[in-house]
Amino acid sequence: MAENFERPERSEQEIDFADEGFGEKAPRRYQRRRPRQVVPDYVDWKDVDLLRQFVPERGKIMPRRISGISAKDQRRIATAIKRARTMALLPFVQD
Amino acid sequence: MANRTYEVMYIVDPETPAERVGKLNEAVGKVIEKEGGTVVRMDDIGRRPLAYPINKRTEGYYVLFEIDGSGQEIAELERRMRVNDMIIRYITIRVDEDRKKAEKMKNKRDRRQANRSKFRATEETEAPAEAAA
Repeated sequence: MAENFERPERSEQEIDFADEGFGEKAPRRYQRRRPRQVVPDYVDWKDVDLLRQFVPERGKIMPRRISGISAKDQRRIATAIKRARTMALLPFVQD
Repeated sequence: MANRTYEVMYIVDPETPAERVGKLNEAVGKVIEKEGGTVVRMDDIGRRPLAYPINKRTEGYYVLFEIDGSGQEIAELERRMRVNDMIIRYITIRVDEDRKKAEKMKNKRDRRQANRSKFRATEETEAPAEAAA
C-alpha cells in the first residue's frame, strides 16, 4: 500500500528546472512554455485551416492548457469550431 | 429595426442537378429581397467533402450568403430551408456584432502601438535635454 504513495521518480526535465536557481524546495512547477498562437480579431468559423490548429487528430477541441491562448480567444475559437462542426466542415469525432 | 448582418450557409444534396441548385440560389435571393433584406455577397463554394456523413452523403454542395436586414427575412428563409428536401443542412450566424468587436480591438491595438512609438521617440530625443536641466 505504501508503495502507491511514493513519489514518482522525477523526470530529467524537472531536475533541470530545479537546478535553475529555484532551490530544492521549489514547488513542483508545470512547464508553462506555450506556443503563442496569434488569434485574429475576427475568428471566422469558415476558416477551417485556422481552426484545424486547435483540433488535434481525435477531433476534440484543444484545451486552453495546451493551446496556450487567452480565455477570450479560446471561447471564440471554441464557438467557431462548434459552428464549423454543424456544417460538417470539421468532424465531431475522428475515426 | 436595427440593421444586422447575417451569414447563411447551406449544404445542398450533391445529387441535385446543377440547374436546380442555381434556381434554388435565385429563389433564396428573391425571398430575401421580398422580405426587405439585401444580399451583400453570394458565394457558391461548390462541392466539398463532408467531415462526417449526413443522410448517407459524403459530399455536399456549399452555398454561402451574406445578408443585410432586420431579421425578418431570416425567419422566412429558415422556415423555407427547413422544408426543402434539397437542403440537407443550414446555419445562420449573426456576424455584425463580432465584426464590430474585432474592429474595436484592432483600433485599440493600433492606438496603443502609435502611443508606444511616440513614447519611445520622446524618450530618445528628450533624454539629453532632461540631463541638461
